Amino acid sequence: MLGEVVRRSVRAAACIVCTVAITLCTSCGNNPYPDSDAPAKIVYSSFGNPPRTLDPQVSYSANDQRVLAHVYETPLEYHFLARPYRLIPGLLTEVPQPEPMVSGSVRYRFSIRAGVRYIEDDCFELSQTGARTREMRATDFLFALQRIADPEVNSPAITTFEKLAGLRGFRERLEQLRESDPAFGELRIDEQYARAGIIEGARVLGPYELEVILDKPYPQILYWFAMPFTSPVPWEAIAHYDGEQNEPFAEVAIGTGPFRLARYDKQSRIVLERNPHWYGVEHPEWKAPGATYPSEGEPGDRENGLLNAAGKSLPLIDRIELLYEKESIPRFTKFLQGYYDASGIIKESFDRVVTEDRLSPEMEALGMRLRKSVEPTIYYLGFNMLDPVVGHAAGERGRKLRQAMSLAINTESYLDIFRNGRGIPAQTPLPPGLYGYDPEYKNPYRSPDLERATKLLTEAGYPGGIDPQTLKPLKLSFDTPDTSAQGRLTHLFYTDSWAKLGIRVEIEATNYNKFQQKVRDGAYQIYQWGWIADYPDPENFLFLLWSKMGQTKTGGPNSANFSNAEFDALYLKVRDLPDGPERIASIDEMRKLLERECPWIPLFHGELYSLYQPWLLNVKPTGLSSPTLKYRDLEPQLRAKLRERWNQPIHWPAYALAGLIVTAVVPGIFTFFRERQ
Amino acid sequence: MLAYIVRRLGQGVVTVLGVLLFLFLLFFQFAQPIDVAKRALGDKARTEVIEEWLSQHGYDKPKYWNGDAPGIARATDTMLYVHFASMLSFDFGKSDADDVPIIKRIREGAGPSLSFTVPLFLLGLPIGIVLSLFVAYFRETYIDRAGVVIAVFFMSISTLVMIIGGQYVIGKLLRWFPISGFDPSPDVIVRFLALPIMIGLISNLGSNLRFYRTVFIEEIHRDYVRTARAKGAGDIRVMTRHVLRNALIPILTGVVLAIPFLFLGSLLFESFFGIPGLGQVTVNAINANDFATLRAMVYIGALLLIFAQILVDISYTWADPRVRLE
Repeated sequence: MLGEVVRRSVRAAACIVCTVAITLCTSCGNNPYPDSDAPAKIVYSSFGNPPRTLDPQVSYSANDQRVLAHVYETPLEYHFLARPYRLIPGLLTEVPQPEPMVSGSVRYRFSIRAGVRYIEDDCFELSQTGARTREMRATDFLFALQRIADPEVNSPAITTFEKLAGLRGFRERLEQLRESDPAFGELRIDEQYARAGIIEGARVLGPYELEVILDKPYPQILYWFAMPFTSPVPWEAIAHYDGEQNEPFAEVAIGTGPFRLARYDKQSRIVLERNPHWYGVEHPEWKAPGATYPSEGEPGDRENGLLNAAGKSLPLIDRIELLYEKESIPRFTKFLQGYYDASGIIKESFDRVVTEDRLSPEMEALGMRLRKSVEPTIYYLGFNMLDPVVGHAAGERGRKLRQAMSLAINTESYLDIFRNGRGIPAQTPLPPGLYGYDPEYKNPYRSPDLERATKLLTEAGYPGGIDPQTLKPLKLSFDTPDTSAQGRLTHLFYTDSWAKLGIRVEIEATNYNKFQQKVRDGAYQIYQWGWIADYPDPENFLFLLWSKMGQTKTGGPNSANFSNAEFDALYLKVRDLPDGPERIASIDEMRKLLERECPWIPLFHGELYSLYQPWLLNVKPTGLSSPTLKYRDLEPQLRAKLRERWNQPIHWPAYALAGLIVTAVVPGIFTFFRERQ
Repeated sequence: MLAYIVRRLGQGVVTVLGVLLFLFLLFFQFAQPIDVAKRALGDKARTEVIEEWLSQHGYDKPKYWNGDAPGIARATDTMLYVHFASMLSFDFGKSDADDVPIIKRIREGAGPSLSFTVPLFLLGLPIGIVLSLFVAYFRETYIDRAGVVIAVFFMSISTLVMIIGGQYVIGKLLRWFPISGFDPSPDVIVRFLALPIMIGLISNLGSNLRFYRTVFIEEIHRDYVRTARAKGAGDIRVMTRHVLRNALIPILTGVVLAIPFLFLGSLLFESFFGIPGLGQVTVNAINANDFATLRAMVYIGALLLIFAQILVDISYTWADPRVRLE
């Protein structure tokens, strides 16, 4: 009797399990997006780290800029296709030119585009009852500069913008007023700024005209006006979100950009929708440079189809969906399934995707495209020039020791072993694409040559790497905050290279905190570091070796503590000169000086290998934070067709598994009851 | 029993204070807030910007004693006091990474975490118990031995491998479900949760099957089972009414202690499947050196665990009337 009950139960359970499993499998499919979105022009991308802030005056990271660059606009932008990088007007009508003044100051007149409106938001009720938006004016640019100066905003761009006449004074007055009168801090933000007085170097001349005055010439300032720090912000948004609403302004986006923030869930999904009131959409007849697809590029762009959209009004897509994807493996798998439009190449799949530095036949068959682009970066090994053995104090001995150590490092091997060959061996601090970069130049100390290195080491007084004072191999330290296993392997690559010269370099891997303390105390010898361009000017790399930026003494980014009067003089010249033969000559002199002094061993410039789906159009990596998605286009029909072809579910394993379980278990049950009876 | 609960609550308070002190030492003595500032502001941030940030977040106060402050403020205007006061009043403040109120983030993350962990828990428990009863009933047959082999096999594979393997086989090769992603809309949520729940069930099944089976088999051999059979009780009644009931104490211990983790989410699953729950909040806080969020998450975890342990004790009296809490 019981046996019959169990038998029936088992049969019923098996049927239910099979039905549920098969129903689930057949009803779902692996498409993570609603079917209704298939015909829309939506770019799907992912983010591994959520944005920290959407406050344009505060943001200084690439994660933030993936959102910010599309919802806010800057006075100037970079040309989408031209290389070397070129500035074009964004919210301005033209790129301002410097006007030297008798006092030694420099003036720029910003002519602001009229008729640009902010996205719709409740905050505009503060300036006019019932208003949902308003026109952007010159006062909003001034407000952005005032926010940079405001100590409570804590903008990382403060040091640069203190070059504006009177900005530091404004900051000090504001701070003093807040400290002396607690009620002052309760005033609305625009009133606080108004009471703190004017910034002499930022004057509103009319509704669409702003004058910017720098105390001293600084031509690079224009690049800073292409960064989000200077994006106009309506005062109403700050007063509403940071004041009345007590909801952080850093979590909303009230800009003028081609897209508006439709959903901002940093832990899951960020959605940007086409802004129907963007000036490029409402006024395509203006043919504004920042709202029209360019008609010229660099050689090869036409052949790559990058000029097919020339003259079209932007943006070309309807929506951008950024999905949180922490882990690289599922992210790359979803790209291969067609659910992301572009991707980098993960280490685990590199050999499958790239063979002999080209796209593998398997990927080519899928229609994928590979784009390589050199990033405006430099990775280098540095010597602490304050150190008595490897630094300035060692004079000619130290110089020859550094040169010998530079000759021992084979960057191409390093790139092959650790980066799948992705990178361009560096000869100087300047990466390709920047003014002053010379692709023909070869640093005589950057090609591996052990014989010459050994000779130089002997000349330095360390024959065979032996320190004459101890009669033992010269002992140096490699200081690093990277304690990971992968980090240790790369450090071993360097120390093994130097061991071939007889020099013993010990890896001192400590936590970040201790490393920083060592840097502050100047107690380090050799280290590895890198720099990503803020803007495409040689000054942004050469200042890393300016003595005024010495890290140990001033906390600046000159972590080598390099100090050379000749270099400093040349740096100041390069900083202040416009592009031209004189500037190039100075850069060449600096290059020779660095080649001789060797405070760094330039390793490589990062190279990005990006994969794109066949349906994605107008892709050209920039390496700088720039609003490139407004230029992007895609073919939704082709995408839908390929996705369907690539993602047909396979059902038979579900049936097979269910059958296998039933076949394996049921006889056992029967046998059990038979034996019991 | 009331006295016992009060005593346990008292011990819990002491433990919480100990946890808070430990957290303070961990985050402020052994680590330095300047690291948090540099992580939040980027390596390129200048010294004065970092100092301003430290001041805005209250990390520039003296740690234990403020000799410059007047009166009681010498003790209260310190990082130690602020830490204890904010945690005990559940005013966790703002995230170090992006200044978002931490309580808002916890509120937002709890739903997605529960939408994954609760079905996993509610499905995993009966499936584990039913399968264990099944193999225990057919003990010493090939069904039992196969069950043991399969259980040991699943126990030997790490969850990480299960996740990656499951995503590869089910998501990529068979294309049954999306590999990752999350959408809370009721019509599509199942599509996203099916794969992580399926992998979670398989991943937990091995250890549950082994544990429950051992408990049931131990009970099956007891005298009362023989007595029940002698009295004519049927197999199903014996297994479900007698064996299961008497095996509840060890099962309850595991089950009730698992409840805090339902709220705290799963670091691995949420990270790999892109579920925006509290596990992911914790992972992001670790990656971003967001000490404020991490402190809050560890504190909430400790509170839940202490509360769950008290619940375990109380549940024993319900499961076994012989247990008296004194």
